[in-house]
Amino acid sequence: MSDPAPRDKDEHEDLVAYLDGELDEEAARAVEAKLSRDPRARAEAEALKLTWDLLDYLPRPEPSASFTHRTLERVAALRPTGPQPVRQATRRRWVRLAWVATWLLAAGIGFGAVAFWPASLWPVAPEDDIERLARDLRVIENVRLYQYADDIKFLRDLDHPDLFGDDLPGY
Amino acid sequence: MATIGESSAQLALRDPDIRLMLRVRADEPGAFAELVEHYQERLIAVLHHLMGNADEAEDLAQEVFLRVYRARKRYRPRSKFSTWLFTIANNVALTALRNRNRALPLEVRDSGTLGVEPVKKLVADPDSGPSQRMQREELAQRVQKALETLNERQRMAVILNKFEDMNYAEIGEVMGLSVMAVKSLLSRARANLRAALQDYIEVESQAQDDGVVESEQP
Repeated sequence: MSDPAPRDKDEHEDLVAYLDGELDEEAARAVEAKLSRDPRARAEAEALKLTWDLLDYLPRPEPSASFTHRTLERVAALRPTGPQPVRQATRRRWVRLAWVATWLLAAGIGFGAVAFWPASLWPVAPEDDIERLARDLRVIENVRLYQYADDIKFLRDLDHPDLFGDDLPGY
Repeated sequence: MATIGESSAQLALRDPDIRLMLRVRADEPGAFAELVEHYQERLIAVLHHLMGNADEAEDLAQEVFLRVYRARKRYRPRSKFSTWLFTIANNVALTALRNRNRALPLEVRDSGTLGVEPVKKLVADPDSGPSQRMQREELAQRVQKALETLNERQRMAVILNKFEDMNYAEIGEVMGLSVMAVKSLLSRARANLRAALQDYIEVESQAQDDGVVESEQP
């Protein structure tokens, strides 16, 4: 068997990295070329592999049966206890109060805008809309009565002067 | 839940343990127990090989899990979950090893002779020794002793590489080292291990050669 350690530190690092599959293609080819022509390098590589395989003889220790339980108990001890529920209840109460205050504020702002907004600043409806509103005004005013009519023909009949004369104009 | 960046989201998709840890972070019932169950064996094995003591390994593994729990709300998936876990384990173990060395300044640690004779006998003449199981146990002790001849960083790098199948970049992340530094560290570690187990390797190599010769005979 050759000397345990090669003289060239970089070469040894490359050899180990090669065995670990950590070299890029070019560096790996260089190591393979050296292994093919140098029996000492081959022996060293073989010894390193055997050493690595010996680590498989180390036992694989199992956790004790109570490990999970003991660990979870210690974690449970970290969780806050006692006054925490009171603190959470207080926090929830504050959150509710904040919501109520927000709604009241929004309602107040809305009311103020409607009550105190200058009329000149209200948005002006387009002219067509105003004309339509004027034309339909009487219908809108009497919509409560129209609901008793079954159809438009009945309404027109009601409007006929032969039936009611002028005592209920407009119907 | 806090916003997670795109790369973190991709990591979480690939690594189910990240998703498990995110459930722990969200305080989902049972998630932490699942995490402990899933990782305890690997974590204890690594710490056992590192510390050389089963009870101490369990105590430290508990400490690691407690740190994970305490840090859960700050957890951000920036790498594989196991890399993060073993980074914590590395910190906990190194602190414990330093405390152990400080507590026992005059301790004479007998690394034991790695003499060739008993091992040679085990391999070369199996009929004359104890049972095969006893041989394995003795061999395991010798390998553990060889591992203990390495310094802490070399030992950690070897264990992560061998038992956690971590590549150099992952080991570097766990130990806070560059890839080149890991390469150099593992090279020295392998050379030291090889020297510590030299005599056995020669025997093993000889035994293999003998086996080849025997099998080649007509």
